Amino acid sequence: MRKMLSVLMLMFFLLSCFAFAEQVNLKFLHRWTQEPDKSFFDGVARAYEKEHPNVKIDVQAVANDAYKEKIKVMLGTEDAPDVFFTWPGEFTNRFIRAGRVLDITNYMLKDGSLFDYVGSQVIPFLYNGALYGLPYRVDGKIFVYNKEIFKKAGIDNPPATFDEFLVDLDKLSKLGIKPIAFGNSEPWAVSHYIAAINQKSVPEEIWEKDLDPAFGMWTDPGYVEALRIYSELVPYFNDYSNALKHDQTKVAFYQGLNAMAYIEIVEIPTIATDAPEGFFDKIGVFPFPATNGPGDQHYLVGYPEGFVVSANSKHPEEATDFLKFLTGKQTGISELKTFGYFNGIKNMISPEEVQPIVYETAKLVMDSDKMVNWLDSSLHAKIWAVYSVELQKLTDQVTTPEKAMEAVIEAAKKVREEFNQ
Amino acid sequence: MYVIPAVFFVLMFVYFPIGMNFYNSLFKMNSYSDVKTFVGLKHYVNIFQDPIFYTAIKNNVLYAVFSLIFQVGFGMILAILLEGRYVGKKIGSFFRNVLFVPSIISIPAVALLWYFIYNPQMGLLNGLLENIGLGAMKTAWLANPNTAIYSVIMMSQWQYTGYIMILLVVSIQKIPRELYESAEIDGASEFQKAIHITIPSIKSMLVVTSIITIIGAFKLFSEVYIMTGGGPYNTTQVLGTYMYRAAFKFDEMGYGSAVAVVIFIITFAISILQLRSFTDD
Repeated sequence: MRKMLSVLMLMFFLLSCFAFAEQVNLKFLHRWTQEPDKSFFDGVARAYEKEHPNVKIDVQAVANDAYKEKIKVMLGTEDAPDVFFTWPGEFTNRFIRAGRVLDITNYMLKDGSLFDYVGSQVIPFLYNGALYGLPYRVDGKIFVYNKEIFKKAGIDNPPATFDEFLVDLDKLSKLGIKPIAFGNSEPWAVSHYIAAINQKSVPEEIWEKDLDPAFGMWTDPGYVEALRIYSELVPYFNDYSNALKHDQTKVAFYQGLNAMAYIEIVEIPTIATDAPEGFFDKIGVFPFPATNGPGDQHYLVGYPEGFVVSANSKHPEEATDFLKFLTGKQTGISELKTFGYFNGIKNMISPEEVQPIVYETAKLVMDSDKMVNWLDSSLHAKIWAVYSVELQKLTDQVTTPEKAMEAVIEAAKKVREEFNQ
Repeated sequence: MYVIPAVFFVLMFVYFPIGMNFYNSLFKMNSYSDVKTFVGLKHYVNIFQDPIFYTAIKNNVLYAVFSLIFQVGFGMILAILLEGRYVGKKIGSFFRNVLFVPSIISIPAVALLWYFIYNPQMGLLNGLLENIGLGAMKTAWLANPNTAIYSVIMMSQWQYTGYIMILLVVSIQKIPRELYESAEIDGASEFQKAIHITIPSIKSMLVVTSIITIIGAFKLFSEVYIMTGGGPYNTTQVLGTYMYRAAFKFDEMGYGSAVAVVIFIITFAISILQLRSFTDD
């Protein structure tokens, strides 16, 4: 009797252990607190739970700006989310250096799922040869222009080179408008310009190396040249650029007060909903025109946004599986249908399903051999703090390209010293 | 015996964090890494070598000076006027309420309101200047390094003058009427009554409100963070935003803690002055 009881108890114990191990709770943190995105992520989590009844996903969201600070604090605690949103580049690399992000290379190679993704969109998530995350939404920066105004100024085709661009800007100015809508009160806006121009003005291997805070020198003369090119654009911006938000100036562009705006392709579907009726049919796009610089003239500025798995996750296997689902084909298709966003999965583009301009811009991104990271999220925070101030001064025309780069070089030197202590 | 829980909570939630903060300020560390390197007083040395720190101190002092002039000085004049005989009871109570209202609005809402007032393109302020023929004075108030900090300061004056005024009004109402009556018999004018009776009688309240505004000036954060984020070119950094920038933007929790210690020392010194002034009374 006693023996039987023990066996029964043992069985009960084993069974309960088994049942306990089955149930997996994952914490998932993203940065979309508003609709429709918020419900979209809830939906993705529910869809995954349906396919995996043993997994329960607790979805939480923190608004964009607060997210940047909150995630840093959360990663230092026991309460760190298993799967969380991040911007690849230096923003993520610091967490990787601190051992907070899971290396998912083997998980992705094991079943070959890595090869479902577009190469140029996965590269941003590599650090020292290992893969740490996957793209949720691809992005790129392009000029969107008002075809009617261009026509009025006598411009038939958008400019291909920077010299042509300057000629066109002059023609547009003669119409009595400020050609470029530009709101830089939050200087990430200028960082996108400079990322594009730096990359064209400086040889690739040099700017790539400079992005590493432990080695970056920033002494290549191309950087000064880039700022000179940027300075040539400044007179064509709307007034008070540094005082206005990007979104405010976009509205002016919609109203025909400016001829073009430099925007992210993820913003293009929103033009259809936000701009006055008929405006969406009037717009065309062109990438930042080529310069005579020694850098690559075809790369596109724009990094994907994505998700990573916490290195402290108690369920790395399940968390990585959810990550794949989150950035996979099924989610990608509903993302495209809901928002017009593309994720990093190959062959997601089918011209029939989306508006031609959305298709055209997504193709620009997918066909780019390499994406260039936004300058603000690719730089060490302390270098960017100085760089951004200098760029705002340059936009206000109160400093020179030479002086601005001197300040950046000095800041980079200090950071280098900290890293090599 | 019964105070033990209270003492415990005060120790746990007030003194322990202050002590920990000082301890942390001796390390190089960030919020997401376990690595913690002892650096001694290096952060303090760096703080005092950083020009932005001095900009921040200067802005806090500016804020304190303006707050004293507007909130305490101007608030006092308003309080005396509203309690004087020139203003009827109903009108007095109306203006008391109107002037007090801004101080109960949350800072983000006020900041948003003023953000639009200062907007260079469609803002009220530039529009007003244009209409009264001062179009040449139009500027991007929050993005112009010469005007940004004053623009933020003036928003706070608008918000808090009414609050300080109410504190002073309450104090004035407590002054015995007989004093005024006897002054009137002696033929004192309103101005003389204010100088010789009202102001001396509310002296202690004036000291308290001065200290509240000065401490408030050194704890300043939200207004600047929302309106300018410390820009343009770091000209509107104050100690609060400077600390925040170090801790959360640059991932230097130790450096941020060191700035916090400096803020603590400054406000603590002012508080001691406050305690002294109480005991003097």
